Amino acid sequence: MKLVRRALMALSLASLIAGTLRLRGKGGVPPQEGGWKEMRVPRS
Amino acid sequence: MTVDAQPAAVTGPQRTLDHAPIVAVVGCGVTGQAVGRVLRDRSVRVAWFDIAIGAAVRASRRLGGVVLDSAGDLGVVDLVVLASPTPQFELAMMLLDDGRDVVSLSDDPDDVEQLLTLHDRAVANEARLVVGAALAPGLSGVMARHLAGLLATVDEIHIAAHGTGGPACARQHHDALGSRARGWHDGEWIERPGGSGRELCWFPEPIGSADCYRAALADPIVLHRAFPDVERISARVSATRRDRLTSRLPMLAPPHGEGDRGGLRVEVRGALASGERVTHVAGAVGRTGDLAGTVGALFAQSCIDGRCPPGVTVAGADASLGAWLMGEAAASGLQLQEYTGVARASEW
Repeated sequence: MKLVRRALMALSLASLIAGTLRLRGKGGVPPQEGGWKEMRVPRS
Repeated sequence: MTVDAQPAAVTGPQRTLDHAPIVAVVGCGVTGQAVGRVLRDRSVRVAWFDIAIGAAVRASRRLGGVVLDSAGDLGVVDLVVLASPTPQFELAMMLLDDGRDVVSLSDDPDDVEQLLTLHDRAVANEARLVVGAALAPGLSGVMARHLAGLLATVDEIHIAAHGTGGPACARQHHDALGSRARGWHDGEWIERPGGSGRELCWFPEPIGSADCYRAALADPIVLHRAFPDVERISARVSATRRDRLTSRLPMLAPPHGEGDRGGLRVEVRGALASGERVTHVAGAVGRTGDLAGTVGALFAQSCIDGRCPPGVTVAGADASLGAWLMGEAAASGLQLQEYTGVARASEW
Protein backbone atom coordinates (compact mmCIF):
# COMPACT_ATOMS: atom_id res chain seq x y z
CA MET A 1 0.00 0.00 0.00
CA LYS A 2 2.86 2.32 0.91
CA LEU A 3 4.51 1.56 -2.40
CA VAL A 4 1.35 2.36 -4.34
CA ARG A 5 0.96 5.66 -2.49
CA ARG A 6 4.56 6.57 -3.28
CA ALA A 7 4.10 5.65 -6.93
CA LEU A 8 0.94 7.73 -7.18
CA MET A 9 2.69 10.63 -5.49
CA ALA A 10 5.63 10.41 -7.92
CA LEU A 11 3.27 10.26 -10.89
CA SER A 12 1.31 13.26 -9.64
CA LEU A 13 4.48 15.24 -9.11
CA ALA A 14 5.77 14.34 -12.57
CA SER A 15 2.44 15.33 -14.14
CA LEU A 16 2.47 18.62 -12.28
CA ILE A 17 5.98 19.48 -13.47
CA ALA A 18 5.25 18.39 -17.03
CA GLY A 19 2.01 20.36 -17.01
CA THR A 20 3.76 23.47 -15.77
CA LEU A 21 6.42 23.20 -18.45
CA ARG A 22 3.82 22.51 -21.10
CA LEU A 23 1.46 25.29 -20.20
CA ARG A 24 3.91 28.11 -19.52
CA GLY A 25 4.27 30.29 -22.58
CA LYS A 26 1.72 30.63 -25.25
CA GLY A 27 3.11 28.63 -28.13
CA GLY A 28 2.30 30.15 -31.46
CA VAL A 29 0.46 29.92 -34.71
CA PRO A 30 2.18 28.82 -37.90
CA PRO A 31 2.56 31.58 -40.48
CA GLN A 32 -0.54 31.61 -42.66
CA GLU A 33 1.09 33.18 -45.69
CA GLY A 34 4.50 33.79 -47.18
CA GLY A 35 7.66 31.84 -46.54
CA TRP A 36 11.40 31.96 -46.65
CA LYS A 37 13.33 32.81 -49.77
CA GLU A 38 17.01 33.15 -50.42
CA MET A 39 18.35 36.62 -49.75
CA ARG A 40 20.19 38.23 -52.63
CA VAL A 41 23.06 40.21 -51.23
CA PRO A 42 25.44 41.93 -53.64
CA ARG A 43 29.14 41.69 -52.90
CA SER A 44 30.45 45.14 -52.04
CA MET B 1 56.30 26.94 -33.38
CA THR B 2 56.49 23.72 -35.35
CA VAL B 3 55.47 23.05 -38.89
CA ASP B 4 53.19 20.09 -39.10
CA ALA B 5 54.85 17.07 -40.65
CA GLN B 6 51.94 16.25 -42.91
CA PRO B 7 50.04 19.38 -43.84
CA ALA B 8 46.85 18.42 -45.63
CA ALA B 9 46.34 21.33 -47.93
CA VAL B 10 49.54 22.90 -49.13
CA THR B 11 48.64 22.74 -52.79
CA GLY B 12 46.67 25.24 -54.90
CA PRO B 13 46.20 28.65 -53.35
CA GLN B 14 48.41 27.79 -50.38
CA ARG B 15 51.47 27.76 -52.61
CA THR B 16 51.19 31.51 -53.13
CA LEU B 17 50.82 32.37 -49.45
CA ASP B 18 54.42 33.26 -48.67
CA HIS B 19 53.57 36.90 -47.95
CA ALA B 20 50.00 36.40 -46.77
CA PRO B 21 49.15 37.44 -43.21
CA ILE B 22 49.18 34.79 -40.51
CA VAL B 23 46.11 34.32 -38.35
CA ALA B 24 46.27 32.17 -35.25
CA VAL B 25 43.15 30.24 -34.37
CA VAL B 26 42.99 29.54 -30.64
CA GLY B 27 40.61 26.67 -30.02
CA CYS B 28 40.64 23.97 -32.65
CA GLY B 29 37.16 22.57 -32.17
CA VAL B 30 34.25 22.60 -34.58
CA THR B 31 34.02 26.38 -34.80
CA GLY B 32 37.77 27.00 -34.76
CA GLN B 33 38.26 24.61 -37.67
CA ALA B 34 35.49 26.36 -39.58
CA VAL B 35 37.33 29.65 -39.04
CA GLY B 36 40.54 28.12 -40.34
CA ARG B 37 38.83 26.57 -43.35
CA VAL B 38 37.32 29.87 -44.48
CA LEU B 39 40.60 31.73 -43.91
CA ARG B 40 42.52 29.11 -45.88
CA ASP B 41 40.07 29.49 -48.76
CA ARG B 42 40.71 33.24 -48.63
CA SER B 43 44.48 32.68 -48.96
CA VAL B 44 45.24 33.58 -45.36
CA ARG B 45 47.87 31.52 -43.57
CA VAL B 46 46.59 29.79 -40.45
CA ALA B 47 48.39 28.80 -37.26
CA TRP B 48 46.65 26.55 -34.74
CA PHE B 49 46.80 26.58 -30.97
CA ASP B 50 44.82 24.60 -28.45
CA ILE B 51 45.50 23.61 -24.87
CA ALA B 52 43.93 20.21 -25.57
CA ILE B 53 46.72 17.86 -26.50
CA GLY B 54 46.65 16.93 -30.18
CA ALA B 55 43.73 19.17 -31.16
CA ALA B 56 45.91 21.69 -33.00
CA VAL B 57 47.83 18.93 -34.77
CA ARG B 58 44.58 17.29 -35.91
CA ALA B 59 43.32 20.62 -37.27
CA SER B 60 46.60 21.21 -39.04
CA ARG B 61 46.54 17.78 -40.65
CA ARG B 62 43.00 18.32 -41.81
CA LEU B 63 43.26 21.91 -43.05
CA GLY B 64 46.96 22.72 -43.35
CA GLY B 65 48.81 25.46 -41.54
CA VAL B 66 51.28 25.37 -38.69
CA VAL B 67 50.92 24.34 -35.08
CA LEU B 68 51.84 26.70 -32.26
CA ASP B 69 53.39 24.95 -29.29
CA SER B 70 52.57 27.55 -26.66
CA ALA B 71 50.56 30.72 -26.09
CA GLY B 72 53.86 32.62 -26.25
CA ASP B 73 54.06 31.79 -29.96
CA LEU B 74 50.97 33.93 -30.56
CA GLY B 75 53.35 36.90 -30.60
CA VAL B 76 54.52 36.03 -34.12
CA VAL B 77 51.13 36.15 -35.82
CA ASP B 78 49.26 39.13 -37.26
CA LEU B 79 45.89 38.43 -35.70
CA VAL B 80 44.40 35.99 -33.21
CA VAL B 81 40.93 34.47 -33.48
CA LEU B 82 39.69 33.25 -30.11
CA ALA B 83 37.41 30.28 -30.73
CA SER B 84 38.18 28.67 -27.40
CA PRO B 85 35.78 28.10 -24.48
CA THR B 86 34.97 31.21 -22.46
CA PRO B 87 36.17 33.28 -20.68
CA GLN B 88 38.44 34.92 -23.22
CA PHE B 89 38.91 38.27 -21.47
CA GLU B 90 42.33 37.64 -19.90
CA LEU B 91 43.92 36.28 -23.08
CA ALA B 92 42.39 39.03 -25.20
CA MET B 93 43.74 41.69 -22.85
CA MET B 94 47.21 40.13 -22.95
CA LEU B 95 47.19 40.01 -26.74
CA LEU B 96 45.98 43.59 -27.06
CA ASP B 97 48.77 44.75 -24.74
CA ASP B 98 51.14 43.00 -27.15
CA GLY B 99 49.61 44.94 -30.05
CA ARG B 100 47.86 41.96 -31.64
CA ASP B 101 44.49 42.28 -33.31
CA VAL B 102 41.94 39.96 -31.70
CA VAL B 103 38.66 38.50 -32.93
CA SER B 104 36.63 37.00 -30.11
CA LEU B 105 33.87 34.47 -30.71
CA SER B 106 32.79 34.56 -27.08
CA ASP B 107 29.05 34.31 -26.48
CA ASP B 108 29.13 34.45 -22.69
CA PRO B 109 27.41 37.69 -21.56
CA ASP B 110 29.76 38.36 -18.65
CA ASP B 111 32.81 37.71 -20.79
CA VAL B 112 31.46 39.88 -23.60
CA GLU B 113 30.69 42.69 -21.18
CA GLN B 114 34.28 42.58 -19.92
CA LEU B 115 35.68 42.44 -23.45
CA LEU B 116 33.74 45.56 -24.38
CA THR B 117 35.59 47.46 -21.64
CA LEU B 118 38.86 46.95 -23.51
CA HIS B 119 38.16 49.66 -26.10
CA ASP B 120 40.52 52.27 -24.67
CA ARG B 121 43.22 49.68 -24.13
CA ALA B 122 42.92 48.53 -27.72
CA VAL B 123 43.05 52.09 -29.05
CA ALA B 124 46.11 52.84 -26.92
CA ASN B 125 47.88 49.83 -28.45
CA GLU B 126 46.53 50.57 -31.95
CA ALA B 127 45.02 47.12 -31.98
CA ARG B 128 41.61 45.93 -33.12
CA LEU B 129 39.27 43.87 -31.00
CA VAL B 130 36.13 42.39 -32.51
CA VAL B 131 33.71 41.26 -29.81
CA GLY B 132 30.99 38.72 -30.56
CA ALA B 133 32.09 37.51 -33.99
CA ALA B 134 30.12 34.27 -34.13
CA LEU B 135 26.51 33.35 -34.89
CA ALA B 136 24.68 35.18 -32.10
CA PRO B 137 26.21 37.58 -31.41
CA GLY B 138 27.87 38.08 -34.78
CA LEU B 139 25.76 37.17 -37.76
CA SER B 140 22.74 38.39 -35.80
CA GLY B 141 24.15 41.92 -35.68
CA VAL B 142 25.20 41.88 -39.32
CA MET B 143 21.72 40.79 -40.41
CA ALA B 144 20.06 43.27 -38.05
CA ARG B 145 22.10 46.07 -39.62
CA HIS B 146 21.07 44.90 -43.08
CA LEU B 147 17.39 44.91 -42.10
CA ALA B 148 17.74 48.22 -40.30
CA GLY B 149 18.96 49.71 -43.57
CA LEU B 150 15.51 49.02 -45.02
CA LEU B 151 13.84 51.19 -42.37
CA ALA B 152 13.83 54.87 -41.50
CA THR B 153 13.68 54.18 -37.77
CA VAL B 154 14.30 50.97 -35.83
CA ASP B 155 12.42 50.35 -32.58
CA GLU B 156 12.91 46.70 -31.78
CA ILE B 157 15.35 43.90 -32.54
CA HIS B 158 14.56 40.33 -31.55
CA ILE B 159 16.94 37.45 -32.06
CA ALA B 160 16.31 33.72 -31.88
CA ALA B 161 19.00 31.10 -32.32
CA HIS B 162 18.76 27.37 -32.77
CA GLY B 163 21.50 24.78 -32.36
CA THR B 164 24.99 24.74 -30.93
CA GLY B 165 28.48 24.42 -32.37
CA GLY B 166 30.93 22.20 -30.55
CA PRO B 167 30.77 20.80 -27.01
CA ALA B 168 31.88 24.08 -25.40
CA CYS B 169 29.06 25.89 -27.16
CA ALA B 170 26.59 23.26 -25.99
CA ARG B 171 27.74 23.71 -22.38
CA GLN B 172 27.34 27.47 -22.76
CA HIS B 173 23.80 26.93 -24.08
CA HIS B 174 23.02 24.67 -21.11
CA ASP B 175 24.35 27.18 -18.58
CA ALA B 176 22.58 30.06 -20.30
CA LEU B 177 19.17 28.45 -19.89
CA GLY B 178 19.79 28.12 -16.16
CA SER B 179 20.92 31.71 -15.64
CA ARG B 180 19.26 35.12 -15.57
CA ALA B 181 18.45 36.54 -18.97
CA ARG B 182 19.03 40.21 -19.72
CA GLY B 183 17.10 42.24 -22.22
CA TRP B 184 16.87 45.91 -23.19
CA HIS B 185 13.31 47.08 -22.67
CA ASP B 186 12.11 50.65 -23.12
CA GLY B 187 15.43 52.19 -22.26
CA GLU B 188 16.49 50.00 -19.35
CA TRP B 189 17.97 46.61 -18.68
CA ILE B 190 15.55 44.00 -17.39
CA GLU B 191 16.30 40.56 -16.00
CA ARG B 192 14.12 37.49 -16.36
CA PRO B 193 14.67 33.85 -15.40
CA GLY B 194 16.38 31.75 -18.04
CA GLY B 195 14.03 29.22 -19.59
CA SER B 196 11.03 31.53 -19.31
CA GLY B 197 9.14 33.40 -22.01
CA ARG B 198 8.36 30.57 -24.41
CA GLU B 199 7.86 31.76 -27.97
CA LEU B 200 7.36 29.61 -31.02
CA CYS B 201 9.84 30.90 -33.56
CA TRP B 202 9.96 30.01 -37.24
CA PHE B 203 13.39 29.43 -38.66
CA PRO B 204 14.26 28.84 -42.30
CA GLU B 205 13.68 25.31 -43.50
CA PRO B 206 14.61 22.58 -42.77
CA ILE B 207 14.54 23.70 -39.12
CA GLY B 208 11.05 25.19 -39.21
CA SER B 209 9.42 25.88 -35.88
CA ALA B 210 11.11 25.65 -32.50
CA ASP B 211 10.13 26.76 -29.04
CA CYS B 212 12.57 29.44 -27.92
CA TYR B 213 13.19 30.79 -24.43
CA ARG B 214 15.01 33.57 -22.66
CA ALA B 215 18.53 32.75 -21.56
CA ALA B 216 21.73 34.44 -20.44
CA LEU B 217 22.80 35.51 -23.92
CA ALA B 218 25.26 38.12 -25.07
CA ASP B 219 23.20 39.35 -28.01
CA PRO B 220 21.31 42.14 -26.21
CA ILE B 221 24.57 43.55 -24.83
CA VAL B 222 26.30 43.56 -28.20
CA LEU B 223 23.26 44.77 -30.14
CA HIS B 224 22.65 47.60 -27.69
CA ARG B 225 26.22 48.72 -28.34
CA ALA B 226 25.61 48.57 -32.10
CA PHE B 227 22.10 50.08 -31.97
CA PRO B 228 22.06 52.38 -28.92
CA ASP B 229 18.80 54.08 -29.98
CA VAL B 230 16.72 50.92 -30.31
CA GLU B 231 14.11 50.71 -27.55
CA ARG B 232 13.75 46.94 -27.21
CA ILE B 233 16.29 44.20 -27.76
CA SER B 234 15.76 40.59 -26.81
CA ALA B 235 17.37 37.25 -27.56
CA ARG B 236 16.13 33.71 -27.20
CA VAL B 237 17.45 30.22 -27.84
CA SER B 238 15.59 27.10 -28.79
CA ALA B 239 15.40 24.41 -26.14
CA THR B 240 13.61 21.18 -25.44
CA ARG B 241 11.67 20.47 -22.26
CA ARG B 242 14.56 18.32 -21.09
CA ASP B 243 16.95 21.24 -21.66
CA ARG B 244 14.81 23.47 -19.46
CA LEU B 245 14.20 20.87 -16.79
CA THR B 246 17.89 20.08 -16.42
CA SER B 247 19.27 23.56 -17.06
CA ARG B 248 20.08 24.15 -13.39
CA LEU B 249 21.79 20.79 -13.04
CA PRO B 250 25.13 19.65 -14.46
CA MET B 251 24.80 18.42 -18.04
CA LEU B 252 23.37 14.92 -17.82
CA ALA B 253 24.15 13.87 -21.36
CA PRO B 254 27.44 14.65 -23.08
CA PRO B 255 27.09 17.26 -25.85
CA HIS B 256 27.20 16.26 -29.48
CA GLY B 257 30.86 16.17 -30.50
CA GLU B 258 30.43 17.67 -33.96
CA GLY B 259 27.62 20.10 -33.35
CA ASP B 260 24.56 20.01 -35.52
CA ARG B 261 22.39 22.01 -37.85
CA GLY B 262 21.61 25.44 -36.49
CA GLY B 263 19.68 28.49 -37.46
CA LEU B 264 19.24 32.14 -36.76
CA ARG B 265 16.18 34.35 -36.92
CA VAL B 266 16.48 38.14 -36.79
CA GLU B 267 13.37 40.27 -36.49
CA VAL B 268 13.64 44.03 -36.82
CA ARG B 269 10.65 46.28 -36.25
CA GLY B 270 10.42 49.93 -37.10
CA ALA B 271 8.91 52.44 -39.45
CA LEU B 272 9.38 53.57 -43.02
CA ALA B 273 9.91 57.22 -43.91
CA SER B 274 6.17 57.45 -44.58
CA GLY B 275 5.47 56.43 -41.00
CA GLU B 276 4.13 53.01 -41.90
CA ARG B 277 5.04 50.38 -39.29
CA VAL B 278 6.82 47.36 -40.73
CA THR B 279 8.59 44.26 -39.50
CA HIS B 280 11.41 42.62 -41.41
CA VAL B 281 12.54 39.08 -40.68
CA ALA B 282 15.69 37.39 -41.95
CA GLY B 283 17.32 34.11 -41.09
CA ALA B 284 20.19 31.80 -41.75
CA VAL B 285 20.55 28.05 -41.61
CA GLY B 286 23.49 25.68 -41.70
CA ARG B 287 25.82 23.83 -39.41
CA THR B 288 26.12 26.07 -36.37
CA GLY B 289 29.89 25.80 -36.24
CA ASP B 290 30.17 26.71 -39.93
CA LEU B 291 27.92 29.74 -39.54
CA ALA B 292 29.86 31.01 -36.53
CA GLY B 293 33.25 30.13 -38.01
CA THR B 294 32.54 31.91 -41.28
CA VAL B 295 31.57 35.09 -39.46
CA GLY B 296 34.68 34.87 -37.27
CA ALA B 297 36.89 34.40 -40.32
CA LEU B 298 35.28 37.30 -42.18
CA PHE B 299 35.82 39.59 -39.22
CA ALA B 300 39.46 38.47 -39.15
CA GLN B 301 39.72 39.32 -42.85
CA SER B 302 38.13 42.72 -42.23
CA CYS B 303 40.75 43.47 -39.55
CA ILE B 304 43.54 42.43 -41.91
CA ASP B 305 42.11 44.65 -44.65
CA GLY B 306 41.83 47.59 -42.25
CA ARG B 307 38.04 47.72 -42.47
CA CYS B 308 37.86 47.79 -38.67
CA PRO B 309 39.43 50.77 -36.89
CA PRO B 310 41.60 50.31 -33.79
CA GLY B 311 39.47 49.72 -30.71
CA VAL B 312 36.42 47.57 -30.14
CA THR B 313 34.20 46.62 -33.06
CA VAL B 314 30.88 44.83 -32.73
CA ALA B 315 28.76 43.29 -35.44
CA GLY B 316 26.19 45.68 -36.82
CA ALA B 317 27.74 48.90 -35.58
CA ASP B 318 29.15 49.94 -38.95
CA ALA B 319 26.82 49.91 -41.96
CA SER B 320 29.52 49.68 -44.63
CA LEU B 321 31.34 46.90 -42.78
CA GLY B 322 28.00 45.15 -42.32
CA ALA B 323 27.26 45.35 -46.04
CA TRP B 324 30.67 43.91 -46.85
CA LEU B 325 30.21 41.10 -44.32
CA MET B 326 26.75 40.25 -45.66
CA GLY B 327 28.06 40.05 -49.22
CA GLU B 328 31.07 37.97 -48.25
CA ALA B 329 29.00 35.69 -46.02
CA ALA B 330 26.64 34.96 -48.88
CA ALA B 331 29.57 34.46 -51.26
CA SER B 332 31.13 32.07 -48.73
CA GLY B 333 28.09 29.84 -48.98
CA LEU B 334 26.04 30.84 -45.95
CA GLN B 335 22.34 30.36 -46.60
CA LEU B 336 20.89 33.76 -45.79
CA GLN B 337 17.14 33.98 -46.19
CA GLU B 338 14.38 36.52 -45.75
CA TYR B 339 10.80 35.99 -44.73
CA THR B 340 8.39 37.19 -47.38
CA GLY B 341 5.14 36.92 -45.45
CA VAL B 342 3.60 39.29 -42.97
CA ALA B 343 5.24 38.72 -39.60
CA ARG B 344 2.74 37.98 -36.87
CA ALA B 345 2.76 40.34 -33.91
CA SER B 346 4.12 38.64 -30.83
CA GLU B 347 4.79 39.58 -27.24
CA TRP B 348 8.55 39.65 -27.11
